[in-house]
Amino acid sequence: MENKNPLSPHIQIYSWNISLLISISHRITGVINIVALTLVCLWIALLLLGETNYEYIKYFLQSFLGKFLILCLTWSFSFQILSEVRHLFWDFGYGFELITSKITGLIVIFGSFVLTILIYLIGKQII
Amino acid sequence: MVQINLPENSKVKKGKYYKDTTGSKNIKKVNIYRWDPSSGENPRIDTYEVDMDNCPSKVLDLLNKIKNEIDSSLAYRRSCSHGVCGSCAMNMDGKNGLACTKPHAEIDGDINIYPLPHLKVKKDLIGDLSILYKQYESIEPWLKTNKKVEAKEIYQSREDRSKLDGAYECIMCACCSTACPSYWWNGDKYLGPAVLLQAYRWIIDSRDDERKERLKKVADEFKLYRCHTIMNCTNACPKGLNPAKAIAEIKKMLATS
Repeated sequence: MENKNPLSPHIQIYSWNISLLISISHRITGVINIVALTLVCLWIALLLLGETNYEYIKYFLQSFLGKFLILCLTWSFSFQILSEVRHLFWDFGYGFELITSKITGLIVIFGSFVLTILIYLIGKQII
Repeated sequence: MVQINLPENSKVKKGKYYKDTTGSKNIKKVNIYRWDPSSGENPRIDTYEVDMDNCPSKVLDLLNKIKNEIDSSLAYRRSCSHGVCGSCAMNMDGKNGLACTKPHAEIDGDINIYPLPHLKVKKDLIGDLSILYKQYESIEPWLKTNKKVEAKEIYQSREDRSKLDGAYECIMCACCSTACPSYWWNGDKYLGPAVLLQAYRWIIDSRDDERKERLKKVADEFKLYRCHTIMNCTNACPKGLNPAKAIAEIKKMLATS
């Protein structure tokens, strides 16, 4: 017999915490990265069709919107890398204590921004 | 399957408002999820004004006070009131825990009380845990030994016994499993942190002879590997245990054996 009783509220009422936030962001950035990589591959494939195609995309990426997009993707990759390292440590069985996971979580969040800025500065050849 | 919205018959409506009748100055509003199976209506949130000057410290005391003095129709499970039986597990202030060990002074503002998340509700704060109990049965939580039955107990070294610390204390209150988003979306196939912690408890027991079979049994894409280390289980556990680590240990054993 099918249970027709109501379902108790779940995601609507559950309080957010750092580990929950990072877990869902890890998935979202993962999807974004796959799409971004595919687009980069397509861009490279466009080279085969001639110089003008390449120029168009280069023109777009040098606009403000394009630069902003690249910066966002840099953050997405930085976040994914740091979060994945955290997962690797978990796979070895380390870092499961609540306080440790909270600290590593904060490191992932702040580290992703620091890494983005570092990559930006290196790209600009400032450092 | 991920389903963010609640089904139509589970949408929560605004309910009754019980005004304070004691004239106390120290009033707190308590919002409680209510559902009456005999009414055929949707669940609702009833709000109670409670006189906090004459209320003992824990959330369970608060519920008892409401049931005794304001609204006797309120239904919830409770038994030992000392954090040992696990009956009064519920969602308070957005976090799962035991009502009998959670002080209501820790909650700022209005106190929101819901049943454990993503369960079929039986009445008010009582969720249906029968799926979880079936899953618990499926891991065969008893000692399996090939040795002939002897009248004597099976000895265990101190070291082997210490491996069970952090696993045997589990009271199966289901706070962890119902806090896990993976268990929300795949509760029918994924075993969930509570049951996997118990599976781990029997896998590492030095007296058990079926370690390999037990490992083989949980090594399933859905049963075990739906755990994505979200850590909500460890965050929720009212006994301070670490189901996430236990699941990781099972994964590690499978990867290295």
